Amino acid sequence: MLVYVINRILQLIPVVFVLSVLVFGFVHALPGDVIDSLAGQEAAEDPEVRAALEEEFGLNRPIYVQYAVWLGNVLQGDFGHSLVTRRPVSQELFERIPATVYLAVVGIGLSILIAVPLGTIAAVRRNTPTDYVAQVSSLIGISIPEFWFAILCIMLFSLHLGWLPSSGYVSPFTDFGASVTYLVLPALAIGFRQAAFTTRLTRSSMLDEINKDYVNTGRSLGLSERKVIYKYTLRNALIPTVTISGLQLANLLGGTVVLESIFSWPGIGLTIFQAIQLRDFPMIQAGVLVLGVMVVLINLAVDILYRVLNPRVGMA
Amino acid sequence: MPDGKATTMERQLRSRQRVDAVDPNDTPLKIRVRRISAGTRTGLQELSKSRTATVGGIMIVFLFIVCLLTPVLATHDPIKPDYRDRLAPMSSEHYFGTDKFGRDIYSRVLYGGQRTIAMSVAAVIFGLSLGIPFGILAGYFGGRVDGLAMRFVDGLLAFPGLLLYLLIVTLAREWKLEGFWNDAILVFALGFAFMPEVARLARGTALVEARKEYVEASKVVGEGSFSVAMRQILPNCVSPLIVNSTVRLGYMILIIAALSFLGLGTPPPTPDWGADLSVARDHMQTHPMIAVFPGLAICFAVLAFNLFGDGLRDVLDPRLADR
Repeated sequence: MLVYVINRILQLIPVVFVLSVLVFGFVHALPGDVIDSLAGQEAAEDPEVRAALEEEFGLNRPIYVQYAVWLGNVLQGDFGHSLVTRRPVSQELFERIPATVYLAVVGIGLSILIAVPLGTIAAVRRNTPTDYVAQVSSLIGISIPEFWFAILCIMLFSLHLGWLPSSGYVSPFTDFGASVTYLVLPALAIGFRQAAFTTRLTRSSMLDEINKDYVNTGRSLGLSERKVIYKYTLRNALIPTVTISGLQLANLLGGTVVLESIFSWPGIGLTIFQAIQLRDFPMIQAGVLVLGVMVVLINLAVDILYRVLNPRVGMA
Repeated sequence: MPDGKATTMERQLRSRQRVDAVDPNDTPLKIRVRRISAGTRTGLQELSKSRTATVGGIMIVFLFIVCLLTPVLATHDPIKPDYRDRLAPMSSEHYFGTDKFGRDIYSRVLYGGQRTIAMSVAAVIFGLSLGIPFGILAGYFGGRVDGLAMRFVDGLLAFPGLLLYLLIVTLAREWKLEGFWNDAILVFALGFAFMPEVARLARGTALVEARKEYVEASKVVGEGSFSVAMRQILPNCVSPLIVNSTVRLGYMILIIAALSFLGLGTPPPTPDWGADLSVARDHMQTHPMIAVFPGLAICFAVLAFNLFGDGLRDVLDPRLADR
């Protein structure tokens, strides 16, 4: 196990390297350079000012040296300064991460609460109307764009019924009650879509398990159907569900951009989106890199968790 | 389970023999054409057994016909504003009503769909043409080439959610690309992001197949590596790729809509499902119906591809068909 974990961590290094090269390359593929954005139009045209700035930012050095310097700074936690707010990028980003994680975790939690019972029932009552309803509704759930679902929710629950605020964010640590009212709609929009995926997955892994020999053995030993299904089968069937939910969580960190912008949710996705609109390149660069590294780390954690839950994988 | 499938295979075999045995003097081209048409016929028969595939298939055919006939079906110019007729309700003149510029929503949904679907199809083809050679060659050569290629793929897959698209589209905006080129870069982004998935699938098959005897045999006969990889190994990963591409088409429609919803797609006044939904937000309180039709159109298109992909998977992967 330890060897496996160390091996996996070593494998991460090239992945993160590729990621950093892509992110660095992205900013350098842009027309113009940092100086155009930093200095005004006139200053950028004045060759002396330009040379001085190039010297200051190290832009006159070869590109791989620039990359190495940038990477060195990043490894020390220095992502540079935002072109818009002039504050350190790391500070801006790390203030925004908790809101995204909060939304993503609650959304995934909600989806599991919906999907696991639904998927299990669909599998147990295979090829009955219950199963068809579950299958069709999960297919429809996958096909509905989440931003449209979010708009429909806002129209119904905020504008028509007036039950919930249509957008905004309150930290759960300042006012928990208010925070929950702001959280409901975005979390619902995430949870609904993710639940559709998870229901299908739970159903098919449940079907895999139900057909295995130990289930029949259990039945022939006189265990109640309820005990066989819910105590033994479900527990094994949930392994892939847990794994995929973990991967979905990783994907959601970057995938909530649209919802964050609809609900004015001050998370990392909205930050990057705003940075793109304001052309705040150090912010974009850092935001994508941080999110990418988080995704890679969550994937690693999920892989390890999978092996802990399912020791048979390790032996194969 | 095996019984049903075995008879199907036997039937396929018999029909193939029948097809081949018609006239031994036929040219190879004629035989090939006949084989393909017979194959299509049996394929359609198989597909029609799956209810999801049938429904999805009909929806897709409908979708493509509507896309082709858009200029005929549309009742108004989708772009020309008409300020006397703003925010009109549904009527026989404007089937879905009009938006805040007085443009006919029905015509805009039609033209928007034509663009979106053409772009998704182009993007899937682009992704396949990048990913298949990449994956097959990685799996075929194995070893260090494979390791390197797969780390690159992992790096691409580490971009969560929409970010890769956002980055590429941002580049497009900075380069001041317009019109056709703006759409082209979006297609490029969508296809490029599809590439890792295709590469992984193709590589998995190639890894297994490359060690089999028939590949060895082709090499002995003197076929080049590239030709072996493409001609002998590629056909083995066709069916998972077809399923994946179908489902991906639906996903791409969602991404295109999401990007233009964020204002990063084609700039207005081009009709676009996502952008039209974004504009509709301004009138949520007073004219909720404006936000309904483009959304329904997206759902219909995505559902069509998801249903068909699901059914196709059942037919092509007999292990799952039993479920």
